[in-house]
Formats: sequence, structure tokens, C-alpha cells
Amino acid sequence: MPRIRAVTSSFRHQFLQFVAEPQWLIPNVILPFMITMVALIMFSGQQGNFVLYAVLGGGMMSMWGNTLYSSGWSIGSDRFNGTLEQILVTPSKLVWIIAGRSVWNALVGILNGVLIFVIAVSVYDADLTIRDPMLFFIAFFVTLLSLSMLGMLFCSAFVLTRQASVLTNGLEYPIYVGTGTMFPIAILPWWTNPLSLSLGPTWGIDAIRYAALDNYDGFSTGYWGDVGIMLALSFFYLAVAFVLFGVVEKKVRVDGSFVRY
Amino acid sequence: MSNYVSLSVRVFWSSAVLAKRALFSWLNPALWMMQLFFMSIFQIAFFVYVVKFAGGSTEADIAYVAIGNAISSVAYTAIFSVCNITGEEKQQGTLVEVLVTPANRFAMFVGRAMFQVFNGIATVFIALFYAWAVFGVDFSNTNWPALIAVIFIMTMAMVCLGLLLSSVGLYLRTSMIIANIFLFVGLLFSGVNFPVSKLPEVIQPFAYVFPLTYGTDAARAAVDGSSILQIGDLLMDMVISGGLALIVGFMIFKWFENLSRKKGTMDKF
Repeated sequence: MPRIRAVTSSFRHQFLQFVAEPQWLIPNVILPFMITMVALIMFSGQQGNFVLYAVLGGGMMSMWGNTLYSSGWSIGSDRFNGTLEQILVTPSKLVWIIAGRSVWNALVGILNGVLIFVIAVSVYDADLTIRDPMLFFIAFFVTLLSLSMLGMLFCSAFVLTRQASVLTNGLEYPIYVGTGTMFPIAILPWWTNPLSLSLGPTWGIDAIRYAALDNYDGFSTGYWGDVGIMLALSFFYLAVAFVLFGVVEKKVRVDGSFVRY
Repeated sequence: MSNYVSLSVRVFWSSAVLAKRALFSWLNPALWMMQLFFMSIFQIAFFVYVVKFAGGSTEADIAYVAIGNAISSVAYTAIFSVCNITGEEKQQGTLVEVLVTPANRFAMFVGRAMFQVFNGIATVFIALFYAWAVFGVDFSNTNWPALIAVIFIMTMAMVCLGLLLSSVGLYLRTSMIIANIFLFVGLLFSGVNFPVSKLPEVIQPFAYVFPLTYGTDAARAAVDGSSILQIGDLLMDMVISGGLALIVGFMIFKWFENLSRKKGTMDKF
């Protein structure tokens, strides 16, 4: 019960911080927005599902951008504001506090994804007919969950560094490339495929495409296979994040390096 | 007069040196190297694979996108880092101390950004190396003096644009938002991935506000073998757009500095 209370409190706190400064939505969404617009222009004149491909990819990228920045700043902002020590000395484990924040960040991720869809429809008059809306929303939410858990994994590492913002900037494009947000990973060099397949969002975007596109020829695992593998990977990330948070929390207490800035 | 000049040069130099030292006391050199060597390759890779997926698999299509993105990688340093100069001073609580000094503002303003000129030039050359080594862009016809001139002038002009944005950041609560917007705006407006003519006609004039638009055109021409004289117009356009950005930026900086002095809101955060 105290764990749930810690999660809900940190969720509420993150929500209030967002309401106080909603401008921080802009850095998370600007690159995916620009890339989607670029892709829509590059794909213009192509036959097939290219527009929907670009918009789905853009939505996915904006959710990832939000997860990445939020996990990076989750600790960084506390370190900067001088509130990190107070959080550490509470009886609740750091991981539960970060979990509450991650849930809120995931919800904001939906907002980012929807924003891309709305812009594509209103500005580019894009036809976004989804083949199976129910399967689409299942895949969408499971992917969001996966991104959230991947964000928690990164966040555990960001506890150790004051330069999380540099790392978050550097991790945007590699994930966009590795997960094949705008193109099938089959066109990447073969040696990158194991890395791509170890990322939950790769399976997520494939499941989303299965649900959204007509005659989509994706991974041989099919829609439910994609969802299953993504869930398995997500819970693996979560388990690793729990272990890492424990290790990191102990290390920074021993070193006395938690708020070194 | 000579005393004024020598003092200004000293302020310029100390600002430049301090900016470099501050960067490395703040940023781990290993992370700086990571930024320098890895940011651009993933950006180029992303758009090269997008263009391949869009059906543009010819060498010319790939070269167009690879060179465009290599050149636009200058924005990480020239726009993002420079734009955040005033914001970081504000965040760290050092803005008041800096602005109460009688030091020449222009020398200080420009000096702080100088390290990013070298940083930006290095970033672009590394990105062009990737374009050749990883993505197979043919540089055999390249007019190297012209390409070097393009990179140098474009980086200077982009840093001037970064300073303009930085001066706006003096007024804002944080410069991070504006830095993020303009870091990526070139991808859409500056002919990085497709010709400016593909943009809606209403937007096209806006594209020519950015030095990067001239820079990408000039770099592609230099790689195709055009000489400095042949791309002279584009180089001049970059000089003009960068110069205007610097002048307007400095005027805005002075305006906001005076405004914040009057209102007592210099480090309102």
C-alpha cells in the first residue's frame, strides 16, 4: 500500500509540474514533428500506405522523445532544484517514485502521439483510416507501456550522471533508426537486426502497422506475436530497472555522490 | 582609442577561453567526443534510410540527403549550444555578475560563441567523412577550397543566428525551448532533405532567412566541383544573413539588458 501511495503521489506531483510549465512539451515533440513533416514531403507522390507509415512513425517518435526526455530530466531536474536528497531519504524506494512519474510521462506521450495525428490530418489532409481500430489501440497502449519501461531503464542509469541531457539528445536518432520508426528494419544492414529486435518499440511499431495498414507484410510473428514479445521485453526492462535502481541507490549512498552537480 | 580596442580584444579572448573551459568543466570530454562523433551519423543514417524507403535509391538521391544532413549537423553546436549561452548564465545564477561588469558587450557577446565555431566546423567535417565512408557519397569531383570556404562561412553565419536566438533567450524564462525549435527547423525549411521548391510557396521565402539554406546548396555545388567564384553569390548570401543576424541579435541583447535593468528582472527565473 505505501508503494502505491508513493506511485500516486509522484504521479500527482509530475502532473502538477507539467501544468505549471507545459512549455516543456515542445522539446519532446519538435523533432518528431519536423521529421514527420519532412517524411510526408519526401513520401509525397508515392503510391501505397506511405502517409500512414509516416504518421504512425511520427507518433511513435514523439512518444519515444517524450519518454527519453522525461526519464532524463526526471532525476536531472531534482538534482538541479536540490530536491534529490529529500527524495532519497524518504522511506519509499526511488524506483516507486520514478514509476509514478513514468506513468504520467506515458500519458503525456499519448498527447504527443495524438498531436502528430491531428497535424497530419488538418495540415496535410492525410487519410488515416485504421484497418482495425481495436487492435490498433491495444498495440498503441502496449507500446506506450513498453516505452515507459524502457524509459525507467534509462532513468536508472541517468541517476549516475549530471549529463543526462546530453545523453538524451544523443539517444533520439539511434532509437529512431534502430526501431525502424519510418521504414522497415529489413532495409538496415543485417548486423544491426539483433540490436533492433532487442528493443520493445521495434515490435510495437510492427504491431501498430499490422493493425493500421492493409496488406501489411511485417514480422513473421504476426500481430499477437509482436505484442507478446514486446510485453516480454518490457517486463524484462522493468526487472532490470528494479535491480539497477537498487544498485545505483546503494552506490550513490556509499559514494555520497548523489547530488554532485 | 587603442586602449579601448585592446580592452575589447582582451574581453573577446577571455570570453572565448572561458566558454571553452566552462564547457569542459561542465561536460565530460568523453561525452563531448560522443556528441562530436556520433550525433551526425545517426541523423544521416535516418534520412538516408527514409529516402531509400521512399524509392530514392540512386546515388544522387542518397548523396543529396547525406550531404544535406552532414551540413545541417552544424546546428547542434552553432544553434543549440550558442542559443543556450544566456539561458545557462541565468540558470546558474551568474548572469547578473556578468552584466554588471563594464566590459564591452559586443566583444563578450561574440567571444562566448567562438569555441562553437571550431566545434561546428569539426562536427561538419566528421559528418562529411561519414557521408563518404559509410554512405558512399562520391567526393572525387569536390572542389576542396570551395567546400572549406562554405563550411567556414556557414558555421560563422549559423553561430551568428545562434547568438540572435541567445539574445531572445535573455528575455525568456529558459532558452532551451527556442534552442530546441531552431535546432531542428532547418531539417524542414533549409533544403536539407528535399529542395526548397517542394515547400508550400508561402513558406519558401522564410527558408531563405536561414544561412543553412544557402549552406546546403553551396556545399552540394562544391562537392559537384563548383569553384569559390561559381558559388560566390551563395557565399555572399550567407555572409549577409549571418551579419544581419549578428547585428539584430546584438541590438535585441542590448534592448533586453536595458529592459531587465529597468524592471529589475535580469535573473528572473
